[in-house]
Amino acid sequence: MSSAQANTATPAGQQKTGEIRLVDITKKFGHSYAVQNINLTIPHRSYCCLLGPSGCGKTTILRMIAGHEPPTSGQIYIGDKIVAGKSPVERGTAMMFQSYALFPHLSIADNVGFYLKMRGVGKAERRDRVEEMLKRVQLDQFRNRMPSQLSGGQQQRVALARSLITNPEVLLLDEPLSALDEFLRLRMRGELRSLQTELGITFVHVTHTQPEAIALADMVVVMDTGRIDQADTAEMIFNRPKTPYVARFMGGQNVLTGLVEGHAGGLVRLRASGGSIFEFPLDGPPPANGQPISIAVRRDHVRLARQASDLAGKGINEIAGAVTATEYQGSYVKVTLDIGNGLFVANVTDRDYSAEPVVHGDRAVASWKAADVHTLAEIDTGAAADFDFDASN
Amino acid sequence: MTPGPEANQKSLLSTYLQVTPLTLVMLLFFVVPVALVVLVSFFRYQMLVGIVPQFTLKNYIDLITNPTTWSLYLSTVKFTLIVLAITFVLGFWVAYFLVFHVRNLLTAIGLFLVCTVPFWTSNIIRMISWRPVLGKEGLINTALLQSGIIAEPLDWLLYSDFSVVVAYVHLFTLFMIVPIFNSMARIDKSLLEAAVDAGATRWGVIWNVVLPLSKTGIALGALFVVTLVMGDFFVVSVMSGGLSGSATTGIFNDLQFLNYPRAAASAVILLIIVLLIAASIFRLVDVRKELVK
Amino acid sequence: MSALPSYGSRPWTFYVLAALFTLFVIFLYGPMIAILILSFQGPSAALVFPLRDPSLMWFDELFNPRRVGDVMGAFSRSLPLALMVMVLTVLISVTAGFGFRRRFAGSGVIFYTAIASLIVPGLVLSIGILVTFRFLGLSAAWYSSALGAHLTWALPFGLLIMFAILGRLDPSYEEAAYDLGASKWQTVKAVVIPIVFPGMIAVALFGFTLSYDEFPRSWLTVGTKNTLPLEIWTMTTNVTSPALYALGTVTTVVSFIVIALALSSIIIIQRRRSR
Repeated sequence: MSSAQANTATPAGQQKTGEIRLVDITKKFGHSYAVQNINLTIPHRSYCCLLGPSGCGKTTILRMIAGHEPPTSGQIYIGDKIVAGKSPVERGTAMMFQSYALFPHLSIADNVGFYLKMRGVGKAERRDRVEEMLKRVQLDQFRNRMPSQLSGGQQQRVALARSLITNPEVLLLDEPLSALDEFLRLRMRGELRSLQTELGITFVHVTHTQPEAIALADMVVVMDTGRIDQADTAEMIFNRPKTPYVARFMGGQNVLTGLVEGHAGGLVRLRASGGSIFEFPLDGPPPANGQPISIAVRRDHVRLARQASDLAGKGINEIAGAVTATEYQGSYVKVTLDIGNGLFVANVTDRDYSAEPVVHGDRAVASWKAADVHTLAEIDTGAAADFDFDASN
Repeated sequence: MTPGPEANQKSLLSTYLQVTPLTLVMLLFFVVPVALVVLVSFFRYQMLVGIVPQFTLKNYIDLITNPTTWSLYLSTVKFTLIVLAITFVLGFWVAYFLVFHVRNLLTAIGLFLVCTVPFWTSNIIRMISWRPVLGKEGLINTALLQSGIIAEPLDWLLYSDFSVVVAYVHLFTLFMIVPIFNSMARIDKSLLEAAVDAGATRWGVIWNVVLPLSKTGIALGALFVVTLVMGDFFVVSVMSGGLSGSATTGIFNDLQFLNYPRAAASAVILLIIVLLIAASIFRLVDVRKELVK
Repeated sequence: MSALPSYGSRPWTFYVLAALFTLFVIFLYGPMIAILILSFQGPSAALVFPLRDPSLMWFDELFNPRRVGDVMGAFSRSLPLALMVMVLTVLISVTAGFGFRRRFAGSGVIFYTAIASLIVPGLVLSIGILVTFRFLGLSAAWYSSALGAHLTWALPFGLLIMFAILGRLDPSYEEAAYDLGASKWQTVKAVVIPIVFPGMIAVALFGFTLSYDEFPRSWLTVGTKNTLPLEIWTMTTNVTSPALYALGTVTTVVSFIVIALALSSIIIIQRRRSR
């Protein structure tokens, strides 16, 4: 998991040619909005992942940056220049398509050299530059093969070579790892990251796989139905989600809501509708009494114990429920509790679980520390309460 | 793909330019001629003078009240229905064999091409090549005589309704095979497996899954066969030795006498009937969606 | 289960249908083979099997217009006409096919007109074109009115083929080309046309053969000089000699050569791309 800050420092005096700024971008298809009022700055030389489920608009944003789709309103700046009306090459972007889109009638060498041919570069120079690029992706011995003769991973490297030969400032990747099998996907992940560091250009990578995003990106942009929910480093997204959606989607965190009862001793107290009491450290001006607040607790910060008596589970930062499912995941067991008005999930380490195993039907008490509670900026409406977004996916 | 509203307008213009040649040819050689045929059908014909541009319904009245017209149409419809039935059965089973029984895709395509190759050769030649096969001294009769199955040569093989039907089936079955093959090839094979899983018999799968999903292909094939048979005049006259007539015989005769108005009227009647059949088939199938897939 | 990909012994239905298929192929090719053999019939001119003294004399007769009809002349019109129709069909269908890739006002009308052109009986069309030309004060000729008539039959087929081909064309190829700096025209030239080229060969094949073998739409529109199918038509009523069969053999061979050329070039191109 990458916790490195984006290396956006550029030598003094050099232009931030790979910086992308979206200002008030909206895209409408017919009567429906694909994205609405998007404002985003992707730093120069960063690895940025656009993350979200299908239909959230991430691919639309990618295509607008590329120049394949014009925004309905708003402006896009690449390297501080407005790019409206400019072709991808003029913008300094290159796109890697999800299906790779390798020209089936051209050899690998001709595919990679396509850009040069369109610009009228001479045959000899073309051959040399193509050869150099093919060596870089270790495909030089395949130069005369046809795309259909290559494996998926090899085809992807050809697509990469074809895009990189245009010397782009920004490389746009549309779900590049989705078509690969598990092993190849993990290996290519590492290769993409080292490639980006080596090239020193901006990468914008669209994905729906959360572990991929937090593994690769300096900046993760979590999207939901046409809006950006949170754009931050992977660590901030994972540990300090802003909204219930991000909390659930990213870390599979538990979201609870309560009304403020008061504060004392540096802790704010919330009372939930079921009678549970939650406390978390006060940070900044105290919230007004009666105000609703939603909190998030990471699944792996929860301790689980069998409910000894009916009175147990009524303490602070505790909640009781019936076990509805247990799922073995190797180093931990995912235990789902029905707490009455929803579900609550604890990832119990395998050691703790073997010490005190709970099974379907048991009543258990989940507890956590006040310091592990994170307040969300939005109140949970209960929408998109999808507990299937597991960090292990 | 190309951004910007101004580029949109440019590409709209180029789109119209791209379809202009097609439109022009269709206008000049199809729309206008058909319109003129309709127009001329309302004109008068005078012997030794030619077409007189005077509006009259005489041509239509003549044709509709003439019993020969009806018997000719009846004959044509009879042929059409028989040929339709035979080509459908043949076409369906040949397509079915190619799509579902031939395992190797390449072999299936190869066999399909084998069926289509005769289509690329001259219709007339294919038609007259039946003469030495069906004739009294032809291949079939000689074989039957020599093997002792019959004592006298069969004379109904050639220059009869039989030979007309044989020729039609020979020429037009392909028009059934191609669309049905196309429709069948698109059927997801797992649908058939699901049907078997649910307990369907061999025939049940065909009746409940294959047939409904090939409906479009069958409709298109039927459309082609009907229009080809109803609009034909040379197969029926050659293969029947002039004994049978068709709806087009009347047109043929009128043209011989240069009676363009009445020929035009006959043509219009034929056209209306064919279009009615086509329209009813179009009701069953959204042609545009199917063809522009 | 006959409709399933069974990997084992074949059900009895396979054998029945295979037999049916074989009979069908014999049905299709039998007569053609019959006249192929008969065209080598000797001077007895008997339209009978078996052959007596086979010879090539009837092929010789074809080149002799006095006895048999103006075969060479008809051929000298049919061939160029078919070539012109072929070229025009490719040019017009391909460009129109590209035009139809986007929705535009009037696309439905043009499409249904093209389909209607297939449905309208050829005879009706022939009359119409003849009347049109008379109306315009022009006389019918194989290179004008017949050309147009043949196009009304070939263009809709070409259009439908282009629809099928362009409909299956993955749009990301063109987007990739645009992404790599190709202009619209460069994209068409370097990416689209090469990819759809086999389809264009099919369109050319349709254009050539539909014209070369066309009868109803040629009938009144050729003017005074016949095309080959029309010439054969007149011969069927007059001539009963095996010269007719010799002609049939020759014209079929020409067709086969054209088909072989088209199919083999398509196969070669596909092979080269997948090797």
